[in-house]
Amino acid sequence: MSRQSEEAPGTKNLARGVLVIIAMSIVLGAAVHFPLLRRFAAGEFREGFFDARAYAGIRFITLAETEDLFAQRTQGTEGLLFIDSRGRDDFAAGHIPGALSVPLERIERSRKKAQGSVTLDFPGAQTLIVYCEGGDCQTSISLAKIIHDKGYKDIRIFAGGWAEWHAAGLPEERSQ
Amino acid sequence: MIRHRWLLLLFRVIVGGVFIWAGALKIADPLDFAQSIKNYQVVSPTLALLIAIVLPWVEVLSGALLIIGVLKRSSALLISLLLIGFIGLVALALARGIDTSCGCFGSLSRRADLSLILTDAVLLVFSLSVFFARPTRRNH
Repeated sequence: MSRQSEEAPGTKNLARGVLVIIAMSIVLGAAVHFPLLRRFAAGEFREGFFDARAYAGIRFITLAETEDLFAQRTQGTEGLLFIDSRGRDDFAAGHIPGALSVPLERIERSRKKAQGSVTLDFPGAQTLIVYCEGGDCQTSISLAKIIHDKGYKDIRIFAGGWAEWHAAGLPEERSQ
Repeated sequence: MIRHRWLLLLFRVIVGGVFIWAGALKIADPLDFAQSIKNYQVVSPTLALLIAIVLPWVEVLSGALLIIGVLKRSSALLISLLLIGFIGLVALALARGIDTSCGCFGSLSRRADLSLILTDAVLLVFSLSVFFARPTRRNH
């Protein structure tokens, strides 16, 4: 028997084995997470993959809403805090005036060191507006979830983020 | 090519164990994994969710089958392909300056960085060794 004909059944079995594993995975995945697929089909998770039921205090806001909250804060409304989840360098290069820098990366590093526990306290803040770079950036969502778990129940995610704010020519602040 | 039976078994247990663990953590929190996939900014949200639902089972099944020795080469091949994909994805994220968690171990995930590529590369060497190992009967 030639070498080629010796290998052919092996290759066929190999491919069959791969297909079996993938098919079983699709069946198991669909069966176990069927409710999730149904919720996605119904329109959930379009802005971010987090369970809106588990994170009822988080909602997404537009640039106009963010501007409105910024104006309220400028006029002296208490309890509003803007949180920038980007890295320190990005924050230093430009951010929403008065925003607090809370880089997600640092929080995650601290959480790892402290085995999941990290202190996140924003005295006096009731409504927290979290933003990151914008576009497809996701650190604001991740940070919002962590803050939510700390007991804050009014968190707004400005999905447009810094890119949209900057492009709109709104007030900016730089730091060293 | 590595022919030592016990060494290959050790490789199978290590790689299989890591994949079962990684897959199980993701099955427990598919939304977190879908978010991690989305963070790489490579696929659409729909595809991210579908991958998040199916891929962990591929990991668990391949890992388990690799350890118990059923469909061993198919499992080793799938795991190798996954590892090559993971390495490519992390390298792409690094090249594009995307700072994200790898998403590889659910909530225990680490950052997608060079050390992660090295870890995946070691696992890839192990799984390829199993894949390319000659069946024992051919040695006699």
